[in-house]
Amino acid sequence: MLLPLILGCGATQLSQSWQIDRLRVLAVAAEPAEPRPGDVVSFTSLTVSPAVPVAMTTWFVCVFEDAAGCAIDPSVTEDLEGLDPSELSAEELAALYAELQAAGLIGVEPFLPPTWVVPADTLDALDATARLEGVTATVSVTAIPDQEVVDEGDLELAFKRVPVSEATTPNRNPGPVGLTVDGLAFPAGTRVALERGQTYTLAVSLPDDAIEDYTYVTQDGVSETRTEEPYFTWYLQEGSFDETDTLYPYVEVQYTTPASPTLEEQSVWVVVRDRRGGMAWTELPIRLR
Amino acid sequence: MTPALLYALAPAWAQEAPPSPAPAPAPAEDELPPIVKMPELIGFVDAPYPPEAKAAGVEGTVGLAITIDETGAVTEVRVSRSSGVPAFDEAALAAARQFGFTPAEDTNGPVPVEIEFNYGFVLDASSREGAVPEAPPADAPVAEAPVNLEGVLVEMGTRRPLANVPVRVEPAGLEATTDAEGRFRFRGVAPGSANLVVVYPGYDRVEEPVEVVAAEVTEVKLWVRNQSYGDGVVVGVYRKDTVEVTRRAISMEEIRRVPGTFGDPIRVIQSLPGAARSPFGTGFLVIRGSNPEDSGVYVDGIRIPYIYHLGGFESVINPDLLAGVDYLPGGYGVSYGRTTGGAIDVTTVTEFPDRKKVTWSTDILDSGGMVIGRFGKKQQHGVGFAARRSYIDALLPILVRDTGFVVKPRWYDYQAKYAWLGGEDTFSVMVFGFRDDLLASAPEGSSQGTDASTQGDFSTNYETHRVVVRWEHPIDDTLELRVLPAFGFDGASILVGDQWRIEQGQWLAEVRAELGWEPSEHFSLTPGLDFLGGVSPFSIALPFDPAQFAETDPLAEREPYTVSDTQWGWGPDPYLAATIRPLANPDALILTPGVRYTLVSIPGEVTTSGLDPRLGVRWALSEKTRLKGSVGLYHQPPQPFESYRADDAPVDLLQEESLSATVGWEQDVGAAIHGELELFYKASSKLIVGNPEFDSLDDPFFTNEGVGRAYGLEMIVRHDPVGKLFGWISYTLSRSERRDYPDSDWYLFELDQTHILSVVAGYKLPYDFEVSAKGQYVTGNPTTPYSLGVYDVDQDYYEPFSTGAYNSERLPPYWAVSARIDKLFTFRTWQLDLYVDLLNVIHGENPEFELYNYDYTEKTYISGLPFIPGPGFEAKFEF
Repeated sequence: MLLPLILGCGATQLSQSWQIDRLRVLAVAAEPAEPRPGDVVSFTSLTVSPAVPVAMTTWFVCVFEDAAGCAIDPSVTEDLEGLDPSELSAEELAALYAELQAAGLIGVEPFLPPTWVVPADTLDALDATARLEGVTATVSVTAIPDQEVVDEGDLELAFKRVPVSEATTPNRNPGPVGLTVDGLAFPAGTRVALERGQTYTLAVSLPDDAIEDYTYVTQDGVSETRTEEPYFTWYLQEGSFDETDTLYPYVEVQYTTPASPTLEEQSVWVVVRDRRGGMAWTELPIRLR
Repeated sequence: MTPALLYALAPAWAQEAPPSPAPAPAPAEDELPPIVKMPELIGFVDAPYPPEAKAAGVEGTVGLAITIDETGAVTEVRVSRSSGVPAFDEAALAAARQFGFTPAEDTNGPVPVEIEFNYGFVLDASSREGAVPEAPPADAPVAEAPVNLEGVLVEMGTRRPLANVPVRVEPAGLEATTDAEGRFRFRGVAPGSANLVVVYPGYDRVEEPVEVVAAEVTEVKLWVRNQSYGDGVVVGVYRKDTVEVTRRAISMEEIRRVPGTFGDPIRVIQSLPGAARSPFGTGFLVIRGSNPEDSGVYVDGIRIPYIYHLGGFESVINPDLLAGVDYLPGGYGVSYGRTTGGAIDVTTVTEFPDRKKVTWSTDILDSGGMVIGRFGKKQQHGVGFAARRSYIDALLPILVRDTGFVVKPRWYDYQAKYAWLGGEDTFSVMVFGFRDDLLASAPEGSSQGTDASTQGDFSTNYETHRVVVRWEHPIDDTLELRVLPAFGFDGASILVGDQWRIEQGQWLAEVRAELGWEPSEHFSLTPGLDFLGGVSPFSIALPFDPAQFAETDPLAEREPYTVSDTQWGWGPDPYLAATIRPLANPDALILTPGVRYTLVSIPGEVTTSGLDPRLGVRWALSEKTRLKGSVGLYHQPPQPFESYRADDAPVDLLQEESLSATVGWEQDVGAAIHGELELFYKASSKLIVGNPEFDSLDDPFFTNEGVGRAYGLEMIVRHDPVGKLFGWISYTLSRSERRDYPDSDWYLFELDQTHILSVVAGYKLPYDFEVSAKGQYVTGNPTTPYSLGVYDVDQDYYEPFSTGAYNSERLPPYWAVSARIDKLFTFRTWQLDLYVDLLNVIHGENPEFELYNYDYTEKTYISGLPFIPGPGFEAKFEF
């Protein structure tokens, strides 16, 4: 079975996950990353869409305590398709919002920033030790492009887990994230000019406290101090990386710009995951000259 | 109807040896099929000694040309060489016209032939007139001229001396026949130039000039070339003495010539009915809709866990040491058990040549050699050694561009066999084993996925070693004891980085014993035992507790997990098999009832049993037409990993069960063409599947809720490897389905292939060239359509959602043609076979599976193997 993999087997004909050519949700961050019951959690997402603007992004949440997970009634999300809130009266909006809230709706961007108040009784069924580990909530994200939606394939569906606990060292998102180009740092949002067909070294820079030490209690009741092991996922529109996933402490990739770009202005993104639910990212706007 | 054949079949007048057929002009090689059976004189008639010659004390020999028809009757007799005495000629003619013969046969059946026969009139014969002259007493004074021309007749390439072959001296007309050591002698050859002539069926004509010197003994070594060099031991295509309903045996000569199989006998099975095509041309056995692990592979009756080296291109037994391969797709008897699929029974050599034989083979994957022969003063010890080693790990860096990634597949195998050939008992010891290693590693600093625990080298290894003893002891004319104890070790390991480790060893003991009782040719009874026991220590280290699998939360913290334990188990599997031949002709109707009790006990974990009653029937409507059928139950115990629990909780699992039924028809067309048609149906139940209600480690992992069914038609038309042509056309029409739970839907088995058509043909060309080709057309495998993915933000991958039922679509069909060209060079003392195995000379797109992009919105096909030329050679020596 090695032979076809070695000789090449057609996989490169397919679009790759690191190539941004369509509506994508690349990352979702909860702040705080590991809330306690009663906390107010705000959500942000790295949603990119190079071709068509994003018309709307819906957010739903549910909490589960077992492996079955939770599902949001799809009929609820179907009701949102083609809906223009500007055409509804205030009463209609309020009634729709109440229905959706009951189904777990926590936000509709750009109209309602996603915000979730963790129910105070989320961990009531657990004993003290179990509360330290807590339960996992699921946030469901649906990005809807500003075009006619023919089928579900036109949407971008994503979900993220949010741990809810009373941990003594709750997780934090590993940001803010910086990006250097050949060792040079630029202010956030600065569009960097790069030569076509050239290779540059991109490196992630993290704050000193981004990689956390935390306490973990084993099944035997022994407390351990552990250190996060984040990894980085890289994305681009055109060009190539020598690697698209790097594991800390390997924070660099070699980025080769396209020799004949279709877009003069593009972006490169990197997402940092700390493997505990924490996430952060940054975007490097570039101009190819 | 073949024309009258004029063969060199003539009794030679050996001056020191009994008479035997004498040569006649050889037929045109490319026109006539070879003779496979000589005519045999069964009715000799004494001619009255002519009174005048007797009174005159005259003796003489009459050379006769006798035409024998396809019934063995003499249709014409004429004098080809007069004795010089007309009375002798007349008397010999009259007697020969009354001779009786068995007919000669070629590959198509009985044929008329003409032979030469020397009829002698000797006055010293006891009281018989016209008798064949007796050889003069050894101590009698030699009244004739001394031996002045002698020699030895040897086969080219093998250096094998040829016995009972007539040699003539021309123009003197003298004849001699070689003895057991290939030696011949002539007396009184006139000095001067002469020709030694050898004409014998199956060999090239030899005409060697020789110079006979007066008062000297001239010695000559004659080399004669065999027109058809083949493997010495050939298993018959359909063994007449077998009682298995469906047994498709393959000769080694066929195996070697099927393209695309690298000369591997196991892989040839994929070109036979009932065997599905496995992906990428690997040789995994999927027989009548069964999983590979459901079929058993046996070496000399002992089951082995793996049959292929890494990649599935080469089997673990060197083909040079094999005598044959029996392929039992279903309906087999009770001597095979613990399987619900098919059975592949590989037999190692039981014949050891008189002359020691050495072979060496090299192809693009590996090289190896074999030595086999008889040893000892009385040649009573048969010994064979074989070994192979791969070198693909050395070739890959040359063939593949340097990416820094390292992939090193490597294997070796060895076999050694000893057999005692001296007495009535059969005794042999076979030691064999193999090992496969795979190492894969990424360059320093590059990630292998995003899981920190999987960084580092990946390696896997598996190995098997066995010692198999066979003893067969005839107690009396009706009773025979057969005992086959075997011992061995299996090992396997998977290592990833420094956090993943799975290692298992297994020490096994297996004893097969049978007491065959055959009081008459109409009945036999064989009680038997197929005992298997073993102890299996294993050790597992993971970076996470398996309990986390139950929770399926990728954000949950991991704790390293280790477990070491030892499983042991045993199963006696007694069985009783009978063969009943109720008709006067014992081969006309054969009934093979049997029953087997399959018990597996893993103390403290699981004990399961199953009773397998089976019945097979073979009914010969005529010598060429047979009907057959079978019905029976087959049980298969749970796999070791299915019956293990770390908490030692009892496992409530039953054996998987299969009810199989077949009905078929066999037809022989001539001596070399056979046809077979078989219908089969198999209903499986109690299949072991994952527990749908598994929620925590306290719950059972598996249940017996699965069911399956497979049914279809298999057909083969086959030409035996005699003469220049061999080949077959094989077709299977089938369907195989599964259902995992009572409330779930039926789905197609992963390798369900509706149509499987294989055409294999080989032909021997002049100048020792051979060409062969294989064409195959196979329905595409089932596949599940996906069109949507939901992104798991935490794990950075898309979960697929299918738009159709599981396995509800199919890949495009597969078709390909492979070819092989052999050229045999025959030297005086050795032979060299050069070949090129051309895999997929022409082929379709042949997608093996679908590959989706990251979010399941696009797909492409991963195609099968491209055109791959595989050169190789094999050298053979005999001494």
